[in-house]
Amino acid sequence: MSDERETRLLMISPASRLTPEMLARTIHSMGVDVALKETCYGCLIEGRREAVLEVTRRARGLQGNSVFSKRRAYRMGDPVRCRAQHGTRPGFSQLESEWVALPYIEAGLDAIDRGEKYKKIPAKEKLPVDKLIEICEVKL
Amino acid sequence: MKVFIDPPNSLILFDLVERFGHEPLSTMAALQERIDNIEVDMPPMNVTLDDVVRGLKYAGIEVPSGVRGRLAVWGPMIEEADAAIIVDDPPFSFGCVGCERSELMVKYLIKRRGIPMLRVPYPNSEEEGKVFVGQVKEFLEGLQ
Repeated sequence: MSDERETRLLMISPASRLTPEMLARTIHSMGVDVALKETCYGCLIEGRREAVLEVTRRARGLQGNSVFSKRRAYRMGDPVRCRAQHGTRPGFSQLESEWVALPYIEAGLDAIDRGEKYKKIPAKEKLPVDKLIEICEVKL
Repeated sequence: MKVFIDPPNSLILFDLVERFGHEPLSTMAALQERIDNIEVDMPPMNVTLDDVVRGLKYAGIEVPSGVRGRLAVWGPMIEEADAAIIVDDPPFSFGCVGCERSELMVKYLIKRRGIPMLRVPYPNSEEEGKVFVGQVKEFLEGLQ
């Protein structure tokens, strides 16, 4: 078993009925040896790589596809990053913008689970010059 | 297979690549290596002086140091990648904020390597979300 440290954040989709507290309690009850910190968007977990991957795999199976996960470079509670210790939080705007899109991704994963096929949306075309001229010359 | 994701710090792409059985190459893993082994001791900076020098391989000296610093982290990942997924037309706060030049350089480096690449539009509705996930799944399952 590898001793390599891995820190992960688990984020709950805003469309989910799961709360960070429920997620944290469920992970505690799994009995896997990882450190856990409940956050506003879900929770942070840290431990040996295998243990963290095991928790992530099981957490993803909770309530459909509403839990998402990615690695985190800094340790849990790192003074450089932790808000409780007035660290800078450069990744927050990224997390915030992705949090908005998570229900769409969740819907996509649910559709795949149901065996639905997707229909390609035609790409937006550029505005033709004659159409632009027409718009410019319109008399109001 | 190792899949480079753009933006390299994306939660959505990281999660999807892992769910469909591949290894995502992300900024987080690259920075963890630096934090655990080299000691990034100048917070809030994430790169060392050596990184900026290494970035010269991917961007010229006249390029702003911010772009070079980013490419010093992302460049080796692109070299290591077997495939890449790029999100097009995202909102401005998605990805590396205010760094269009790095984005262009990343796309150029991926194209130059000639690895399989998927460009998907950012989803703004449930329907688009289904297309997004469907395309990513199809692409990742097609990788040998």
